[in-house]
Amino acid sequence: MSLAARIVLHLGSLDLDVELRADDGETVAILGPNGAGKTTLLRALAGLLAIDRGLIELDGTIVDDGARTFVPPEHRPIGVVFQDYLLFPHLSVLENVAFGLRSRGTRRGVARQAAAASLARSGLADRAGGKPHELSGGQAQRVALARATATEPRLLLLDEPLAALDQSARGAVRRDLRAQLASFAGMRLLVTHDPLDAAALADRLLILEHGRVVQTGTFADVSAKPRSPYVAELVGVSLLRGIARGDHVELPSGASLIVPDAGSGEVLAAVHPRSVSLHREQPTGSPRNVTMGRIDSIEQLGDRVRVRVAGAVPLVAEITPAAVLELELVEGTEVWTAVKATDVTVFPV
Amino acid sequence: MRKHVKLWLVVAVVVALVAAGCSSDGSGSSRGASSTRTTTVSQLDGTINVSDAASLTEAFGKIGRDFTAANARATVTFNPGSSGTLALQIQQTNGAGIDTFASADEENMNKLVAARLIDGAPRIFAKNKLIIVTKPGNPKHVRTLADLAGLGTVSLCGPTVPCGTYAAQVLRAAGVTIPETKVTRGLDVKATLAAVTTGDADAAIVYVTDAATAGRTVGSVTIPDPQNAIATYPIATLRSSASRATSQAFIDYVMSSRGQATLRSFGFLAPS
Amino acid sequence: MSRRGRRTPWLAVLVALIGFAFIALPIIGLVQQVPWRRLWTDLETPEATAALRLSLICSLWATALSVLFGVPLAWVLARVSFPGRSVVRAIVLLPLVVPPVVGGVGLFYAFGLQGLVGQYLYRWFDIQLTYSTAAVIMAETFVAMPFLVITVEAALRSMDRRYEDAAATLGAGPLTVARRVTLPMILPGLIAGAALAWARALGEFGATITFAGNIQGRTQTTPLAVYLLLQSKPEVAVGLSVVLLAVCVAVLALLRERWLGAG
Repeated sequence: MSLAARIVLHLGSLDLDVELRADDGETVAILGPNGAGKTTLLRALAGLLAIDRGLIELDGTIVDDGARTFVPPEHRPIGVVFQDYLLFPHLSVLENVAFGLRSRGTRRGVARQAAAASLARSGLADRAGGKPHELSGGQAQRVALARATATEPRLLLLDEPLAALDQSARGAVRRDLRAQLASFAGMRLLVTHDPLDAAALADRLLILEHGRVVQTGTFADVSAKPRSPYVAELVGVSLLRGIARGDHVELPSGASLIVPDAGSGEVLAAVHPRSVSLHREQPTGSPRNVTMGRIDSIEQLGDRVRVRVAGAVPLVAEITPAAVLELELVEGTEVWTAVKATDVTVFPV
Repeated sequence: MRKHVKLWLVVAVVVALVAAGCSSDGSGSSRGASSTRTTTVSQLDGTINVSDAASLTEAFGKIGRDFTAANARATVTFNPGSSGTLALQIQQTNGAGIDTFASADEENMNKLVAARLIDGAPRIFAKNKLIIVTKPGNPKHVRTLADLAGLGTVSLCGPTVPCGTYAAQVLRAAGVTIPETKVTRGLDVKATLAAVTTGDADAAIVYVTDAATAGRTVGSVTIPDPQNAIATYPIATLRSSASRATSQAFIDYVMSSRGQATLRSFGFLAPS
Repeated sequence: MSRRGRRTPWLAVLVALIGFAFIALPIIGLVQQVPWRRLWTDLETPEATAALRLSLICSLWATALSVLFGVPLAWVLARVSFPGRSVVRAIVLLPLVVPPVVGGVGLFYAFGLQGLVGQYLYRWFDIQLTYSTAAVIMAETFVAMPFLVITVEAALRSMDRRYEDAAATLGAGPLTVARRVTLPMILPGLIAGAALAWARALGEFGATITFAGNIQGRTQTTPLAVYLLLQSKPEVAVGLSVVLLAVCVAVLALLRERWLGAG
């Protein structure tokens, strides 16, 4: 059972042309900057938008062919978790969860029982009689998921499921969501702009930029070989363009990166932040690529810190907060970066 | 919470003060003798506002024009309506703004006399009779008052509008009862007539003068004299008038042979 | 409710008081004229009871019809885009600005015995609308429906339509979405619109008297009765007026603030 889609859609200034597929038990994350077309893509899959050209096939049934065939959302076997959950404010939590079943014909009593059971599984049994506005962010997210999965859809679509939460709640909810998604039998498509979501929840990534798929693959694949500055930025990888000359890559600034088997011609050299170490004084040792730079910015990401270093070889280093304190690193500080030659990945443009 | 109580207290006090200030005016008919104004004799250069019964609209229109033609510096404006409403307005305002009152019945005039709003004694200047009007050509073949009871809708003046009281009198005299569910009440005789000329009413009881003015837009059915009512029209100057002399002159004109001839031409009967 | 730092806007309060006084004074003037002792007996006269009963029945019917036809009308105006929509909206809202008597005349020329539609109703079905209670309901609906349409259209436009999307993705067809999501969410606006429509219908005079006539027990609603009674029995007229006033005040006061505001 699978989803196969080719979606060509023009909406305002957005020109979308995407091919994607997903299989049962798989979570695909669609990542991209704002305006890339992620939500539009999701709405097209949900049937809230009709495609201009292409094909959307769900479990062998064509739901949209850009021409005569268009199956409206109420007849597609889908469940959607919206960005701000959109729980019906005038219905109780229980009735919200039961809504899908009742709409598809289940009798009220039966639907409510199933909804109650689902809420109990999510640990929200005591909230069943209350109204959505009484729920906390995390609770609302769980109710929204329960509501979307109550009808046992084949395709679960999640639009920025954690965006409405504040940073402190996200970690816990993300772990929760991971478990829930794992127990969901069908296909799952998740739209997000947060790479941590992708890393934690997805089996496969699809990077969308300006309406086009820029890269697909697992998180590891994408981190290792990011194909665009956005992706590189996203995964924290430093991407340097240069000319490969056998054992090193010449950078526009004049400096060089020592890389074994660099090849020749125009290449992209990628360095993962974890491979970059920072020193207050010029280090000696095996790393071949030691350069001086100046700290541009320091950003805390969860329990790690990303330090952006500007200079002849601009790099991003990922270190612990303790290290930042110990080395007394602040913006403007002069530091030495060290990268092992074997930690630099080079691939042709 | 305290600030809110203060606010509401201020509001309540202001409203109460203003209300108290206005309540003394009450139901106006008590101050009939308040305005005694002196006017210079024979200065017919005033403007008079005449409240006249609706049935007088056309006749008084002509008389007004003739009067102003004869008295270049005088101006006459008219305020037609149901005599009952006009009398009520005069009572409520102590006659402010009105100089002359011409009623379609003595009852309304007497109300004003009793309230001491009339200057001198009213004079009867015309009489009128009632008539049945129908759609042109009398399609429902109405011949007598009794036939009215069998029609779909009959238009009569409101029960306290003079022509309504007269109509009730006429119907009583003829022993005819029209079920109330078939009677649509006009606010004055012109509205009552309009229900037939431009509305869907089958017939109406209006004054003979109204039928005359309506001409071919209606069919007429005479009411035999023994059953008919005589409407008596009194006219008087109001005590509150600022142009009493002009008002008196107007009344004199109405009573004169010229005024009477005009009234006759519209179908009114002689006052005696 | 007034916290530190939130000062009362005295200038606004002063001007508001004047505006309020302007509206409150005529009402106070009426109320203080009521002969309270005789009020009940006055209201028991056949004219008064007939008028009150008619007013109640007709205004409720007019409100019901306004809702029945007004909601779909508001829906189309809010959700369906078609050429000439703003013209259609302008026409629908005309009864708000047109003098009621003019509306009555229009109704007459449409539905009177010689009217555009009326002549066929009479010729084919022997139906006469003028001088009937139905005509009163028609006249009142004519003036009242725009209030409902304007309120409901505003409510529909201001509602977050993504809730309807959510319902669709859950399997609800268009009718189910309308019934279980849209209508409940615009309910406050709908109630406010219905209350306004009802109050307007209750007070209608010009269109009623022109189209439905003034027949006691059949088309003589309270405003018409008051006008006539003013000449003969002003105390009864005042009593009737005050009853009408009291009922309207009660209904409008019961409308919770958030319904009149938010919609």
